[in-house]
Amino acid sequence: MTAEQTYDTVDMMLNMGPQHPATHGVFRMVLTIDGERVVDVTPHIGYLHRGSEKLAENESYGQVVTLFDRLDYVANLNNELIFCRAAERLMGIEPPERGQYIRVILAELNRLASHLLFIGTYAIDLGAMTPIMYGFRERERIQNMFESVTGARMMHNFIRIGGVKEDVPADFVPRVRALLDDVERGVHECDRLLTFNEVFLARTRGVGVIDVPTALSCGLTGPSLRASGMAYDVRKDYPYEVYPYLSYKVPVGENGDCWDRYYMRVLECYESLSMVRQCLDQMEEGPVMAQMRRIARPPKGEVYVHGENPRGDIGVFLVSDGTDKPYRVKVRPPSFCNLVSLRPMMRDAYIADAVAILGSLDIVLGEVDR
Amino acid sequence: MRSKPVQLAIAGVLFVGVGVLVAVFTLALALLGEPDDNVTALTAGKLVIALFALLTLITTLGISLVWLERKQLGRMQGRVGPTRVGPFGLLQVVADGIKLLMKEDVSPSSSSKAIFYVAPLLVFVPSFVVWLTIPLSEDLVVRSLDLGVFFFIAVSVLSIVGLILAGWSSNSKYAILGGFRSAAQLVSYEIPLILGVLSVVMVADSMRFTDVVNAQATVPYIALLPLAFVVFFISGLAEVGRTPFDIYFAESEVVGGPFVEYSGAHWAIFFLAEYVNTFVVAALGALLFLGGWVWPFGDLGQVPSVAIFLGKTYFLAVVIFWVRATLPRLRIDQLMNVGWRLLIPLGFASVILIAVQRFYGWPTWTLTLMSLAALVVAAWVQMRMQRKDAVATAQRYAQRAVEVQPSRRRPGPESQQA
Amino acid sequence: MTEQQPPEEQAAPRPAAHRGPPIEVAEEVLDSRGEHTAGALRLALRDMALESGGRDDVPWVRIGREHLIRAVESCVRSPNLRMDMLHCLFAVDYEERIELNYVLFSLGNGHKSLLKVDVPPDDARVDSLTGVWEAAGWYERETHDLFGVEFDGNPDMSPLILYEGFEGYPGLRSFPLHDYEEW
Repeated sequence: MTAEQTYDTVDMMLNMGPQHPATHGVFRMVLTIDGERVVDVTPHIGYLHRGSEKLAENESYGQVVTLFDRLDYVANLNNELIFCRAAERLMGIEPPERGQYIRVILAELNRLASHLLFIGTYAIDLGAMTPIMYGFRERERIQNMFESVTGARMMHNFIRIGGVKEDVPADFVPRVRALLDDVERGVHECDRLLTFNEVFLARTRGVGVIDVPTALSCGLTGPSLRASGMAYDVRKDYPYEVYPYLSYKVPVGENGDCWDRYYMRVLECYESLSMVRQCLDQMEEGPVMAQMRRIARPPKGEVYVHGENPRGDIGVFLVSDGTDKPYRVKVRPPSFCNLVSLRPMMRDAYIADAVAILGSLDIVLGEVDR
Repeated sequence: MRSKPVQLAIAGVLFVGVGVLVAVFTLALALLGEPDDNVTALTAGKLVIALFALLTLITTLGISLVWLERKQLGRMQGRVGPTRVGPFGLLQVVADGIKLLMKEDVSPSSSSKAIFYVAPLLVFVPSFVVWLTIPLSEDLVVRSLDLGVFFFIAVSVLSIVGLILAGWSSNSKYAILGGFRSAAQLVSYEIPLILGVLSVVMVADSMRFTDVVNAQATVPYIALLPLAFVVFFISGLAEVGRTPFDIYFAESEVVGGPFVEYSGAHWAIFFLAEYVNTFVVAALGALLFLGGWVWPFGDLGQVPSVAIFLGKTYFLAVVIFWVRATLPRLRIDQLMNVGWRLLIPLGFASVILIAVQRFYGWPTWTLTLMSLAALVVAAWVQMRMQRKDAVATAQRYAQRAVEVQPSRRRPGPESQQA
Repeated sequence: MTEQQPPEEQAAPRPAAHRGPPIEVAEEVLDSRGEHTAGALRLALRDMALESGGRDDVPWVRIGREHLIRAVESCVRSPNLRMDMLHCLFAVDYEERIELNYVLFSLGNGHKSLLKVDVPPDDARVDSLTGVWEAAGWYERETHDLFGVEFDGNPDMSPLILYEGFEGYPGLRSFPLHDYEEW
């Protein structure tokens, strides 16, 4: 006892971020550390707050889509899709089937791109340099495909209320098939390089464990929740668009550690590939845009719609007052909620684990701060 | 902000200062004691020239590794690496160096200035001084010391002091964390490194590099002591902070560690020292385990022995960079586990095996056998710890995945039209 | 904004679906899943519900703010509901009242629902749910930042997405979009 009093140590406060290479943007966490051990963590967000929800109240419905592009800037099309679904639900219109297929193909391709980016950045968080190059190479192929379809690499504004902006190019189906083969090879390459790597396993297995009750209490969703053992996927539980026509698997983990969260995403990449292939098989000619007024003017009312984003369960609450501008748009950003679970995950972590845990949540700050 | 000429002048003075420091230090060491018989007696004047020549040579070899690493990593990652400056981007490093020298030399206002500026030299000088006794070939050596191997170990440890001081004097939390990490890491891995080197010394019966190399005239020691080589190579990686042991300047955790506050020429010195150290480890591996300038497989004719030595050294460097392209970084506790629970026992095992073999006078091939057996056992134990479980888990996940069948039948095209 | 309105892509004239006078108020219809949830909600909140409705599979119930904790706890405990996740919490500013929406999900039972609580803008104050769900803390801080709603019992109400010392509540309709000086 006296020895403890004589040699008293003081915890050190380490400010990680907002400019730190491993915080994936302008995220800041204040770590209280005792040597290499993390005692406590306080996340700080808001460095990228642009008031998207406020801005959306002053834009017409068609323009809000562009704001949604800029929320989760790694999975733009998934974000566009969720807003358009909310507006369509309010207006009571259903996009034509070909439009829905195109939406799902693009959304799943974007999920692939997002997961590939995750694999790469996660590897670099853990100090492996190579997977990010492989991941980016494959993501680049997908973005080239997006460019040929939507005209943009990231901020597409392609999915519109009532369908998609225009039909896909004539050679779309064969090109996507070739792309899928390439990407599958790339995913497999990253998988082989990283998944069972001894050092990678040592760094991620048993690190940042979170159990299902805590995860639910923190609002954790998406692959991170499935890694804990809860088979919740909006595509499975509340199917939307053409997902009911597809057969796929929802990978579920057991341990809820960083490796599980990583591996869920790798498995999802394969599932997305298979989903896009099924969509290509099923897709038929037809219109891509519903017949509707030129200016979207939903009737008075409100709607809550949610869907599966690469990062988790994104929700949109839309209030319309009958004008051409939404009265209130609220986004439930999956990254925001996933960040809440950072603190329980950080129990008994090392500084290096803090980086590994944050990386495994795969946050995008544009969405966290809106 | 100082003007460009002043910047360049400061950088120039710095480099001349480094040169003078290295020269004085090595000169003093070289002139100590009796001159050797088998080395051409050099006068003090010639020695100074030789040392400056050595400095230039080692710097060039060091920065050649920068190019090699960038090119190799590029190829391994599906890129091409530097291509713009000079043929095959060979002059890229020079361009980078000029850029670094032109940059403003910033130091934190609350740093201890004197220590802050001395620390890079303390890292840099030992990595050059060890070349005093490392032979590039039979005759190309400044001083072939009797205790050459011992000298190398004694001097190379000094760079830890520079790293700790750099971390301490920067007055930055990331720097101090990196400094502490480097202290823990380098001191821990010094022991297995020494044990690996000791194995070689025991077999060669000499601490003189020339003797060690000549003893490998028929069989390089890597064939004789695979266990010692693995221990030496892994702890060598840790000594110079290469992946997977780059935790003391891990840029995704401590953002460069002790170097985080350095910029311009001082940072360039750290950078140079890092690559010279990498070259030292590769050269040492080549000398102690790959037979240095000796080519055991037949007569190579006119190929100079320096080329053989450098070829082996670059081969080891390529392996080091290959490891970097493949592996993630270890965590600090795992690093300590690998060092204390795996490498040190293996190092002692290697020493004991050699002692037993020499005591009973068994033939040398028994050494290979015993060494390999120990290595295989260690590798198997290590593999079993993580990988087997993970592969089983992954297979279970693949089976456990919830299968979703189409819940709705797709309507025909007719209903779509309606 | 240079953004185009969603254009009609079909060149051929087709009968438009919603030509003519726009529909004023959207029809609110619950599907079977929503009806199921609504029934369970009615049972759990029978003495607290002021108003209810819903669309698709998301029924909503309006309750008084004094009942919030009790209502949420009965939603969590009720064996038919077992709302295990606070999916979202946000405010909507209707000028004369601020409506707080608690989106409760039951991932185990497959329920989705909205709890609505009205607070007056001049006394925007409600009990905190941090004791029930950990996720509530950040949502409440965000809502406080943007709408000025006070959450009694939240241990940490420091600004989350705005910086310290920001004046005003930018989520409110009265907060100007352009005409204010920040620096």
